[in-house]
Amino acid sequence: MSIFEGVNWLQLLVTAIAMGCIYSLIATEYTLIYNATGLVNFAHESFIVLGAYIFAGTFERALQFPHWLAIALTLVSMAAFGVLVASTILNPLRNLQFVTYAMFGTMMLSRIIIEICRLSWGSLPFTVKGFLRESINIGSTVLSESYIYIIVISIIVISLLQAFFKLTKAGKAMICVSQNKDAAALMGINVSASINLTVAISSIICGIIGILCAPLYNVSSNMVTSAATKGFCAGVIGGFGSYPGAIIGGILIGLIEQFGIIFIPSVWKDALSFGLMIIFLLIRPGGIIKRKKA
Amino acid sequence: MDNKILSLNGIDVYYGEVQALFDISLDVYEGEIVSIIGSNGAGKTTTMRSIMGLRHPKKGTIVFNGEEIQKLPTHKVVDRGIVYVPEGRLVFPDLSVEVNLEMGAYSKSYSKAEMQQMMEEQYDLFPRLKERKNQLAGSLSGGEQQMLAIARGLMSDPKLIMFDEPSLGLAPVIVDDVFKVIVRINKEKNIPILLVEQNAYMALSISNRTYVLENGVITTSGKSSDLIESDEIRKAYLGG
Ligand SMILES: Nc1ncnc2c1ncn2[C@@H]1O[C@H](COP(=O)(O)OP(=O)(O)OP(=O)(O)O)[C@@H](O)[C@H]1O
Ligand SMILES: [Mg+2]
Repeated sequence: MSIFEGVNWLQLLVTAIAMGCIYSLIATEYTLIYNATGLVNFAHESFIVLGAYIFAGTFERALQFPHWLAIALTLVSMAAFGVLVASTILNPLRNLQFVTYAMFGTMMLSRIIIEICRLSWGSLPFTVKGFLRESINIGSTVLSESYIYIIVISIIVISLLQAFFKLTKAGKAMICVSQNKDAAALMGINVSASINLTVAISSIICGIIGILCAPLYNVSSNMVTSAATKGFCAGVIGGFGSYPGAIIGGILIGLIEQFGIIFIPSVWKDALSFGLMIIFLLIRPGGIIKRKKA
Repeated sequence: MDNKILSLNGIDVYYGEVQALFDISLDVYEGEIVSIIGSNGAGKTTTMRSIMGLRHPKKGTIVFNGEEIQKLPTHKVVDRGIVYVPEGRLVFPDLSVEVNLEMGAYSKSYSKAEMQQMMEEQYDLFPRLKERKNQLAGSLSGGEQQMLAIARGLMSDPKLIMFDEPSLGLAPVIVDDVFKVIVRINKEKNIPILLVEQNAYMALSISNRTYVLENGVITTSGKSSDLIESDEIRKAYLGG
């Protein structure tokens, strides 16, 4: 009897790509802040959790708004939250002399946000009723609706972001800021404002991830701990600081963990992506897409 | 020499506790090329960075077209019409030549046609850049990057342009080209220029007036044609 017997390839593939998209979005979200400020935002997981709580806890459960309105208001709230964090914390932190202190700063921020979530929405996990919980049956294949949405929305988000960088003045300014802050300022770019915008966009993406993950997990303060870590690995594997790298790394981890469970027990799948990251750090520290250094 | 464009009035600038500039005063008038010469670490770059608001003076004022600008952030200084072509060029290496030029006009809201016209003007000045307009700036040679940095600076049609060691690391033939372009910019576009150079001979030859900076203090200033004859200057900066 072959180990491939009874494997539903289509289902595995869709799951792999959907989870890969989540990891890609996570890698993209913190790459934005890394490129703009030089800081690794260790609070990014808490941004996602906050987005999920604002959506599920406030606009869905408490206020019972229609989904589209709940989503729109969540993203607006996340953008405002991003500007607040950037102007009060990340912009001052990036000017600190020691990056290590700044990293500690983002870790503390993470604890604060998680505490705020616990105090505001309680510590009991809950679910969002009637949101992306249907399944589609194709023959013997059962595809969850949420996976399809994850894939479609990720493609839209990533395309919009690329278009923003290529086509808009503000997007190009963000690229200049990531390449050289003094030179960007000398072009007349308001560097702090550009960073505020970057963090707002990153926070919106965190909100989207939080909303997309709400149907996959119970909403709780550690709902995306494992996904956030794998998203981090995705960036390392793909090439730190590179947007194509973030996508390739994310999809690769999604594929490896799903198809890996054919060969090894599924409890090992988390260890697999972390193992892969360490292998990459050892043999190709620049990741798949090495960034050219100026 | 009547209309004063820029004046530094007794500025002190520090890096942390260490003072880099002591009571610096200098002026640039309409139509002039003014140069600052001095050895490594004299404070030439610091002077320019202070004008640009990348470093704020602790004491003194910087006046541009009648307005005090010493407290303004850099992007506002650029809005006022000062452009700084920095030491080491600082082009955006991962962006194409064309997008680099476009970013030079960030402070302006040009129409598509105006943007195209400004680019053509720069390409006329530097035909090599036109051939390479789709190439990434990081892949250009040092001389080409210097041309790009100058062209990028001109994109915003500045009221004053400052060059920080434009000849640094360039082959002698290219150095000549760069200085010719600087003189052309001054004469044809009628833009006043503040030039920092270690190549003192070049700086003195093309400028109207020169300031000599030593250890953060202006020790000598005057007409370049006089200074080039002075024994002291010849000894210290022109190799005898
Ligand atoms: N970022 C900095 N932090 C601390 N000290 C600095 C910094 N930049 C410059 N200095 C110091 O300020 C003084 C003036 O430096 P500046 O770069 O202005 O000199 P310069 O005349 O441009 O020299 P060069 O010809 O080598 O470019 C030097 O003593 C330098 O060590
Ligand atoms: Mg210098």
